[in-house]
Amino acid sequence: MEQAKISTSQLFILMILFQLSNSLLIPLAMKAGRDSWLAILIAAAVSIFLFFIYRALYLYYPTLLLTDYTEKLIGKFLGRILAFLYILFFLYSAARVLREFGVMLLSFAFPETPLFVACAMMMLVVIYTVFKGIEVVARTGELLFVIMVMLAFFLFLLIAISGLIDISNLKPAFEDSPKILDTVFTETLYVPFGEIIVFTMIFPYLNQSKKLGKTGIAAISITGASLAFTTILNISVLGVPLIERSLFPLLTTIQSIQVGGFLQRLDVIFILALVIGGFFKVTVYTYCAVIGTASLFDIKEPSKLAYPMGMTVLFLSLIIASNYSEHIEEGLKIFPLYAQLPFQIILPVFLLIIAFLKNRKKG
Amino acid sequence: MSYRKFIKRKKPKEQSEDLEKVEPKSIGTSIKENLNIIKQKTGNSPDIIIRMLTFSHDPRVSTAIVHVDGLVDNPTINEFLVQSMEDSVQEKLEEKDIFKVFSEKVIAVSSLETRKDWDSLFQALLSGDTIILADGKKEALIASTRGGERRLVEQSDSEITLRGSKEGFTESINTNTALVRRIIKNPNLWVETMNLGKQTNTDLSIMYINGIVDTDIVKEVRQRLGRVDLDAILDSGYIEQVIEDESSGLFPTVTHTERPDAVAGNLLEGRVAIFVSGTPHVLIVPAVMIQFFQTPEDYYVRFPISTLIRMLRVFMFLISLIGPAFYVAATTFHQEMIPTDLLVIIASQTESVPFPAIVEALIMEVTFEILREAGLRMPNKISATISIVGALVIGQGVIQAGIVSPAMVIVVATTAIASLATPNYDIAISARLLRFAFMLSAAIAGFYGIILGLIMLIVHLVSLRSFGVPYMSPFAPLVPKGLKDTIMRGPIWSFNERPKSLHPQNPVRQGKHQKPLPPLKRRMVRTNTKEGDKNES
Amino acid sequence: MNRKWIIPFFMAIYLPLLSGCWSSIELRDLAIVSAYALDKNEDGTYVGTFQLINPMNVPGALQGGQSGQKPSIATYTATGGNPLEVADRASTKVSRDLYFAHTSLLVISEELAKEEGLSSILDAMERGLEFRTTTNIVISRDMKAGDFVQVLTAIDQVPAEKAIKSLEFTEKLYGENIATNLQKFIKAAVSTGKEPLVSGFTVEGDIKKAKTMEQLQSSEGEATIEVNGIGVFKEGKLMNWIEGDRSEGTLWVLDQIQQAPVNIDWKDKKEAISYKVVRQKTNVEAQTKDGKPVISVHIRAEGDLRAIDVPVNVTDPHVLFRIEKALQQKIKDEAEAAIHEAQKTKTDIFGFGEKLHQSDPHSWKKLEPAWQDVYFPALDVDVTVEAFIRRTGMRNNPYLFDLNKKSD
Repeated sequence: MEQAKISTSQLFILMILFQLSNSLLIPLAMKAGRDSWLAILIAAAVSIFLFFIYRALYLYYPTLLLTDYTEKLIGKFLGRILAFLYILFFLYSAARVLREFGVMLLSFAFPETPLFVACAMMMLVVIYTVFKGIEVVARTGELLFVIMVMLAFFLFLLIAISGLIDISNLKPAFEDSPKILDTVFTETLYVPFGEIIVFTMIFPYLNQSKKLGKTGIAAISITGASLAFTTILNISVLGVPLIERSLFPLLTTIQSIQVGGFLQRLDVIFILALVIGGFFKVTVYTYCAVIGTASLFDIKEPSKLAYPMGMTVLFLSLIIASNYSEHIEEGLKIFPLYAQLPFQIILPVFLLIIAFLKNRKKG
Repeated sequence: MSYRKFIKRKKPKEQSEDLEKVEPKSIGTSIKENLNIIKQKTGNSPDIIIRMLTFSHDPRVSTAIVHVDGLVDNPTINEFLVQSMEDSVQEKLEEKDIFKVFSEKVIAVSSLETRKDWDSLFQALLSGDTIILADGKKEALIASTRGGERRLVEQSDSEITLRGSKEGFTESINTNTALVRRIIKNPNLWVETMNLGKQTNTDLSIMYINGIVDTDIVKEVRQRLGRVDLDAILDSGYIEQVIEDESSGLFPTVTHTERPDAVAGNLLEGRVAIFVSGTPHVLIVPAVMIQFFQTPEDYYVRFPISTLIRMLRVFMFLISLIGPAFYVAATTFHQEMIPTDLLVIIASQTESVPFPAIVEALIMEVTFEILREAGLRMPNKISATISIVGALVIGQGVIQAGIVSPAMVIVVATTAIASLATPNYDIAISARLLRFAFMLSAAIAGFYGIILGLIMLIVHLVSLRSFGVPYMSPFAPLVPKGLKDTIMRGPIWSFNERPKSLHPQNPVRQGKHQKPLPPLKRRMVRTNTKEGDKNES
Repeated sequence: MNRKWIIPFFMAIYLPLLSGCWSSIELRDLAIVSAYALDKNEDGTYVGTFQLINPMNVPGALQGGQSGQKPSIATYTATGGNPLEVADRASTKVSRDLYFAHTSLLVISEELAKEEGLSSILDAMERGLEFRTTTNIVISRDMKAGDFVQVLTAIDQVPAEKAIKSLEFTEKLYGENIATNLQKFIKAAVSTGKEPLVSGFTVEGDIKKAKTMEQLQSSEGEATIEVNGIGVFKEGKLMNWIEGDRSEGTLWVLDQIQQAPVNIDWKDKKEAISYKVVRQKTNVEAQTKDGKPVISVHIRAEGDLRAIDVPVNVTDPHVLFRIEKALQQKIKDEAEAAIHEAQKTKTDIFGFGEKLHQSDPHSWKKLEPAWQDVYFPALDVDVTVEAFIRRTGMRNNPYLFDLNKKSD
């Protein structure tokens, strides 16, 4: 751990940006079709419970990282192995996000550019940021958040005045209720909401631990609301069939904007949202992997790890899948079941039970 | 982490021992010897003027007045030193201690002190004071006679305002501190002086308002100045570069100004000013990014107007940063984003241009930088020629020859004007340099490159600190109350607190409820008007 | 320390980047395609004609250019098995990179639209990176699409823009056609409860001469591009054309009318009073009654009187009320005629099915499979119209009215 501290508002922004990042851009909860916005809201509500599990763990060990207190909870050997697995999980997640980001960028804006180059450029900035530490990450978040909010406002204004919104596209609602729940528990809960597990590595930096609960709830609800809103916007502009067929619904929505013959073709806004989102998620994941490794192996200067770990993420992102379909297949079928479910839900619950038992004995 | 480093600076190195140990450190009894030492040390320079005075009643007691020609105020020396001493020479002195006589009865200058060591005597002599030596005395008198030719207080050339004080700092440190004192008439305005520069012995003053400023910042300033061991300090720029948090970066973390009102405003917010003798540029620390987009005049005009102007400045900064890069990215990577009609126009212009857009942009930018540099260093008469050459030969000719497209010239010219219009030169030149980096990244990866560059820039900026204060505050870390005076300029009556990021000791700036209100009777309220009440409308 | 190797490290990373700017392309290496026309050959292959903008010849674009001397467009033709192959083949003929991001018009010949349908063509367009979903689709009637894009136009330098502008203006001013872009078309095509509509264009005059500069030399021109009818699609194929009043009626129901004129008869005089709509709103409501779908269309129009060819006293509110009544009847007739026509051809161009889906998803599930063929043609549509005259133009009574009074 470094000596820095972050404020509740910084944590709040970090959590929102982290969760929004790529989920704003890809079709989210599309299994639920027209009601995907509802699935998102339900997932957000459920993830508040998840957040409270993480928070409870944090309250037992308010000065320790997740990778530190595993050791205290389940013994030195097992705890260290688990911490190591978590670090791998973070690294792999970072690599996945980077890969997704790279493919998105190339597939719509830079088709001829090699994936490696696009990812390497991004990783360069990520490494630089991670090297600077959590304080800089948090502050960068604050500034980028303002940009994102302004962009969102501008976009919504343009979409609204260009008369694209057709609310009737949302009707009929609640056509297939079981499907909504199915979507929530197989997809949406894990990405993006379950991903806040990484914040167990950041909670200890908080300067006002009492306000964590409120901050978390606010962040998750705002994320859920904005994702649901984006989905509603996409559906009302494009209609479900078109969203289902497009890789990036938000891009298609932006491309349909035509205001006054001049304000059209605003793809650059999408690139901006894409790069900021991708950058942020990869940075937070990489940072958590770096700080976790540093505490696990007792490395004095964690920033030195930024280069090697960053490079690892970069190369990992290139070798995890041979093509994008394979990558998506892994992301939708294998990864949630074998990695996200245990790491985000089962293990934290298990750790919490142990922590509860251990502390009760003491008390 | 790196930003914590400034706390554990290396201790200043031990000063190297003087090689000339032979020389006596303090003054001797013989006046001849003393004068010889002075002559010898100054190499018999003719501007060191020595005048002997002998007392008629006691020829044993001879005195000498030493001063440097040009540094001293001649009337003072003539009237209050030489004249009165000569007068006293006629009389018979009862007192044995001649210096006591001088200081009590004879010499009528504002400050007089006795010193023994040569170092401080020379220091005083070369600062414009006059030394009075007397035979048989193991000490000397220093009479303050500083003066000589100085530039008058004039309007500053580099920071021009339409409204507000026209006074600008001069090269004289005393005048400068006085200019600020004239604005803040408060005993809590404290000044500390020091002397830096091994060869130049430059005077330096730190000024702050006790009770407002955070004492840690003052301590930090003192400590950083304390470790300065430069040969020469020719301008406050020297000091700036050795006390900055990060001198290798492109962004200034110390601001400077030539205007007393700007200094006063900053002192009142809880900052520290550093005056350096010989330059009108006064340093102000700590500095935050947004300060470079503000001018004192912003506070003198109505707030909605200055808010708009500040927004314009930030916008101009962005143009001067990424203007050409944006053009290069749009025309070589993202042609689909340009409206069709505009694209056809640009395409028809670039049709005959033999270079890629990036080369075209670099040619024009470099040309412009050359023109600017030439115009800046030339005497006024020649610079008119340069502007003609620039406008006609380069502007017109380059387009007609079809080497550069008119669209590119428009972009470069707009960028140039935007960069010239940024109020602070320091921040404008950072943008000037970064512009080339952005152009290259735009040529490599289009908007992706620009956006990554911007993120990198943001990361760099938020990691900076100036004397412990985050450079991007109050944006990051966010201080909501501080936002009132950033890109926005809130009304004066709302500035109830000093900037929180400076940790002022006394955060309350002014009384509450400063907002002016029209008299109650003018507002649309139902009041029971009695007969006889004035009811004008 | 770390810093010492940061710079070399970054430089090393940037080194490979310097070797190439992969996706960059200079403007002068682009051939901006303004329109893309697709025809069908006898042997079943596609014939694509590309209308390229020649920037040097676009007047006003460059001072001292040869503007006005040469046509501002150039066309190239290529053949291939699918639209993308056609584009690839065409690039062997053009010295530059064909650039489709600014293509504003996709012209399909009537023949191709009828026989092949648009599905396979549009998939290629939509999947492609450069093609924008806001590209307009039109159909060239009774002529080759290739000829259509080769016709030069006088006022608009780029013919594709002329076509789009006339589309937009006639849609706005006359309400007799409809601007359909790729996205709208696909959205309607994939929905079971809605079918797409596409405007048709014809060229009147001597097409051969219209392709040369002769076209631009006379004020009259050799041929003109004209909007002509709305094509109805079913299952991606062109079914039939809606023309004239029918098309206006269609647009009334579709809520697409912006400023259409409505002419009504008055006392035996045909089209005596002309009414101009300035604001219009159509609400379609769908319900099921006893398992049978019922659609009610409510049209509300507001507008001014523009031309009055008969002596009527328009200052009299009662007269105005009668005119309003006549207007309502006229609009209602037009709308009903359009609906009947659609029902005859068994194509739900109005999206009634979709409305039903939204209001009553359960019964829609039952109706959906046979909607177009069974339920839609038998649909009971109730059209109600409200028309308001807000102003009577700049004068009160027509001078005919005063003349009449004189003679009385």
